[in-house]
Amino acid sequence: MADRRTRGMTGTEPSRTTAARAAAIAEQLHHECALLLELFRKKESLSPDLTVADGRLVTVPPPSSQLDTRDKLWRLHSALLQCRSLLERAITKEEEELGGAEKGDYQSQRKTVRDRLSLLLANTGELLKATDGTAVLTPSLEGLEIDGPTILFEVKLWIYRIFKELDYWTKTAITTLQGLPSVTAKERGRTTAVRRRRSTRR
Amino acid sequence: MPRSSFSPKPKCSPIWLICILLGLSAVHTHGKDVPTVPQQVSLSPNLETQQLTLSWLGGESTTFDIMILRTELNETVFYETVSVTADKISGQHQWNWTSVEPLECTSLSVQIRSRDGQTTSDWSDTHILPGMDLPSNKDSQMFPQDRVVSVGTNTTFCCIVEEGLGFGSIRYRDLVMNVTRLSRRSYAMTQINQGPSGVTGTNVFCSSDEKTLLNGAVVFVGYPPLPSDLVCETHDLVSAVCQWNRGRDTHLYGKKRKTYYTLNGRDCTEANQNQKWSACSLAQWDGNFTLVARNLLGQYSLTDSSELSLRVRPVAPANLTSVVRAWNATLLWQWKHRGYDSLALICQVELTSHWHTTTRTFSGVGLRSVIVLDLRPDEDYSIKVRCGVQQNFWNWGDWSGPLAFRTSIDIPDAPDVWMWIERDNTGRLMWKPLTHRESHGQITGYEVTLWSPDENIQHTETLPQSICTVPINLTHISTTGSSSNKVIATVIAKNAAGVSPPASIVMPLRWTDIDPPAVSRTAYMDGGFPLSWQSDANASCGYVVEWHDASCQQDCAVEWIKVAAENTNISAQSENFQPGVRYTLSLYSCSSEVPQLLQRWEGYMEELVPSSSVPHLSSNQQDSNIKLSWGEIPLVSRRGFLLGYHIYLNNGSQLMLLANVSDPTSRSYTVKGLPVGSYKFTVKAYTSAGEDTGATVSISLESYTDWLILEMLASLGTMTCFLVLVTFICYKKRKWVKKAFYPDIPEPKLAGDWSRTQGPLDVKPSPHSMVHIVEEPEWDSSKEALVVIPEEDEDEDETGDEPVDTDEPTSLRYYNQVIDDRPIRPRFPDSSASSASSLDSARTDVTYTGIQTSGNSLGFQLQPQGSSEGQQPQIDVPASCVDGGGGYRPQMQPGSLSQDMGLPAPQAFSEPQPTKGASFGGYQPQCSWHLDSPVEAEESGGLAPSLGSPTSVASTQFLLPDSGSKEQPEGKGQGSSSATTWFHNLLSSAKP
Repeated sequence: MADRRTRGMTGTEPSRTTAARAAAIAEQLHHECALLLELFRKKESLSPDLTVADGRLVTVPPPSSQLDTRDKLWRLHSALLQCRSLLERAITKEEEELGGAEKGDYQSQRKTVRDRLSLLLANTGELLKATDGTAVLTPSLEGLEIDGPTILFEVKLWIYRIFKELDYWTKTAITTLQGLPSVTAKERGRTTAVRRRRSTRR
Repeated sequence: MPRSSFSPKPKCSPIWLICILLGLSAVHTHGKDVPTVPQQVSLSPNLETQQLTLSWLGGESTTFDIMILRTELNETVFYETVSVTADKISGQHQWNWTSVEPLECTSLSVQIRSRDGQTTSDWSDTHILPGMDLPSNKDSQMFPQDRVVSVGTNTTFCCIVEEGLGFGSIRYRDLVMNVTRLSRRSYAMTQINQGPSGVTGTNVFCSSDEKTLLNGAVVFVGYPPLPSDLVCETHDLVSAVCQWNRGRDTHLYGKKRKTYYTLNGRDCTEANQNQKWSACSLAQWDGNFTLVARNLLGQYSLTDSSELSLRVRPVAPANLTSVVRAWNATLLWQWKHRGYDSLALICQVELTSHWHTTTRTFSGVGLRSVIVLDLRPDEDYSIKVRCGVQQNFWNWGDWSGPLAFRTSIDIPDAPDVWMWIERDNTGRLMWKPLTHRESHGQITGYEVTLWSPDENIQHTETLPQSICTVPINLTHISTTGSSSNKVIATVIAKNAAGVSPPASIVMPLRWTDIDPPAVSRTAYMDGGFPLSWQSDANASCGYVVEWHDASCQQDCAVEWIKVAAENTNISAQSENFQPGVRYTLSLYSCSSEVPQLLQRWEGYMEELVPSSSVPHLSSNQQDSNIKLSWGEIPLVSRRGFLLGYHIYLNNGSQLMLLANVSDPTSRSYTVKGLPVGSYKFTVKAYTSAGEDTGATVSISLESYTDWLILEMLASLGTMTCFLVLVTFICYKKRKWVKKAFYPDIPEPKLAGDWSRTQGPLDVKPSPHSMVHIVEEPEWDSSKEALVVIPEEDEDEDETGDEPVDTDEPTSLRYYNQVIDDRPIRPRFPDSSASSASSLDSARTDVTYTGIQTSGNSLGFQLQPQGSSEGQQPQIDVPASCVDGGGGYRPQMQPGSLSQDMGLPAPQAFSEPQPTKGASFGGYQPQCSWHLDSPVEAEESGGLAPSLGSPTSVASTQFLLPDSGSKEQPEGKGQGSSSATTWFHNLLSSAKP
């Protein structure tokens, strides 16, 4: 477990609006991550037909159907926090070791992703607060390869994997946030309302 | 270097070592020709430089064979004989070998043997430099890593495949390379002549046969640093600031590969890596400066030296303030360093207003304030300052920050006033709106004053600032007491600071249509109409050039420019000039009186083709020609000076130029020489820009013979009228004609009663008469009017066909064939009787001789009806007529004869034949006279006038053979014949 809870959750359901907004942000972030990966591959001449072996950098409890909403949110929030730590470290290391200080599309997109991730984290934090009262999560970087490798090719692969990890977790965030009971209930409510309206018209 | 890790360690004790040495010594003693086998071979690799250092003990030998193999595949990498001398102190031989491939790629086996000429020792034991492809290292690897090389070098990379996986390929960037297998798991490729890499280096990828990325490496290809232009200067008169040009891009980035600089041994960490120029500071001016630039590929040094006083570049002035007035401002600033107080400075003040920048220079010791003159009121300015030292000027210091201010307002300038007089004596007083620079503050309004100097009457009107033209009714002014013919108009502009000086103009009270000497043309060039004129002595206050659209008739947009008296040429310029518009430019003299028109021009900014074609194009056929006519193109449509017209023959598909009418005032053109047919003509007016679209007209050219026929008919009609007129005159004057050309024959005096009994008249010619008949046979033509009935063949109609020519006296029988049924007056004898009696008259013998002569034709009877039908039997009669030329023959009607007999016109008469209407069908003098001269008949006492003629006595009854005439009504027959027969009679009587 990469994060540890400092206070117990109260179990209240997250705000519908926040959850929907967070899901929308996650979708946007996912799109931006895909674009960032594409720019990275292009910048590093990484041929699309080459497969880069995945390697998990973020450590969170395994997913389980037994997890309740609070735990799912906590797990997601923890993973995203790790992603942000890794991303920031990757940016710093890339600029130090590889001299990526110039302003190009890749650098701009990298900054966009970082900012969007912070926004998503703020939303998932709000959701967590909504479900857990005043719960505060302290990110733990234990086990994280936060310093990264020293060989530059491996640094590049490490950065690429961080982007991939972020891509993975934004995808997971979309699923998780859209699957939250509040959102589901909202959607159900909408669907029911539509059905009622239709039946009324009939 | 981990040399020891690869050297075999001696494990023998000293005793054993001594024994061995002794043994070897013995062997050597017994075989001195065999070199010693190298001993204590050791391998020391330098992985960064890929260099392998071999060291051994080789005795006295200086030549060795060295063999290096790839251990796993037993492939020879190097096998050469080298000369190596032993170190004098340690006695060891040492030799370096540089591998093409990284030493980690695979294990290498090394053997050495001594050589003495052709004699060699045994090979030393094999010493192995283990590679990273040993089975114990199962992971995939790639070498070299993070290598930094110069542009153009070759680099060999090797990939060690993970245990259990198959090798796929090695890519340099995205380019698949050719590889060489070094061992079971190790593969190598070489990239030659490498180009500079990108910011993050060049990637080399190693992938498995399943295209899974196994490993990779980054190589940085760049240049060593090459800075230039090191210059050191001082700002504060104490410290030194050095600048240099970083030079070419090294292509090496990142904290390990970037270029590091040191100035006089001090690290310049503040040097900006991303700018072309870098700078580094030293606390004290040293006089000599050395810059060293260094990166992984090399280093470069630059030096500079100078005295401090020669390198003073002041800092930027600080804390700029200003004291602003309408026309100038005082600028103040401060210096950071006290040393500037005694420094002679020269400063530049850059003034910017409305994107227009001017620079002014000031100087002084410790300069810290200046007065900036020639500013404009109510204007925004931005100002900044920089300075340099006056003595030993080195460079301008940095600009201060900009200071913005706005000058105070002031009274406006006088407006530029002009006038416009219409033909109806209405006028406009106009002035140009004051620009921002002229108004010196927001204009609040204008004050217009009209003053009649003679009457000293003044009228003032205040107008808002948006008004710049005032209508003036001059007629009203002239009829309201002013005896003068002019009025002075004055305009004053007002703003918050006060009123402007007055601007006046003298206006005439009546419009005078005075044409200038000539209207000349002017060509637009260089953004205006160039105008020049002769200096005018009356132009005491200069000239005014005014222009407007020439086609404008009322309320025209007028522009003008005032010209100083000493100028006699300007270029009239306006943003409102439009191409294709004719402008009229007028020059007026300015004086204390009414402006006088001096000269006038007209011109186009740009001539265009006419916008409309010629109006009212029409075509008319004139004789066999075609005349094209057209109207004048309106001025507004000409859009250029017309140069003429092109006349085209339009055949539908193309235009054929017929003529170029170069006279623009021409309005017609005649096309000649065209055959009969239909034509279309196109007329295009043209200017210097080209011709218009053209107007087309069609015409069908008709044959001219119709006109000829019409002319002939007209001539014939005229002739007919003339003849009718002559005939009419002759008819009216017939009495005169008769008297003149055909006087009455005296009536014979006859005694007794002349019965009108019809019957044959037997005449027995006297012998005397017979003599006459023989002598004048030609006179038988006159008998035609008689009906001669031969005595013997009275009943035989056709016997008279053959002419009878005999000398035998024959009794002639004349049959009185009376056609006219009118009663003959009793006092007149029958014609037969008269005829008989006339025979007795000697005086009439001649006449009767003629009758007798006609007795030659007694063989036929002339029938009255047959005469109109052209009977042939009488065909011989005219022949005798021709022959008979002498004697009196008033009854003779050759024309009628020939006509009545169907003969051609006789040759004997060349005169024109009477028309049919004039035909009288024979000789009927008595009948005619009877009707035509009723008065005369009455005067003669009711007697037939013909009876007065001795001939008529005999012929009145006999000479009426023409049935045609007989059938006609009397009046009509006489009327029609009398007018036309007199010519004939005239001719007949004229003949002897």
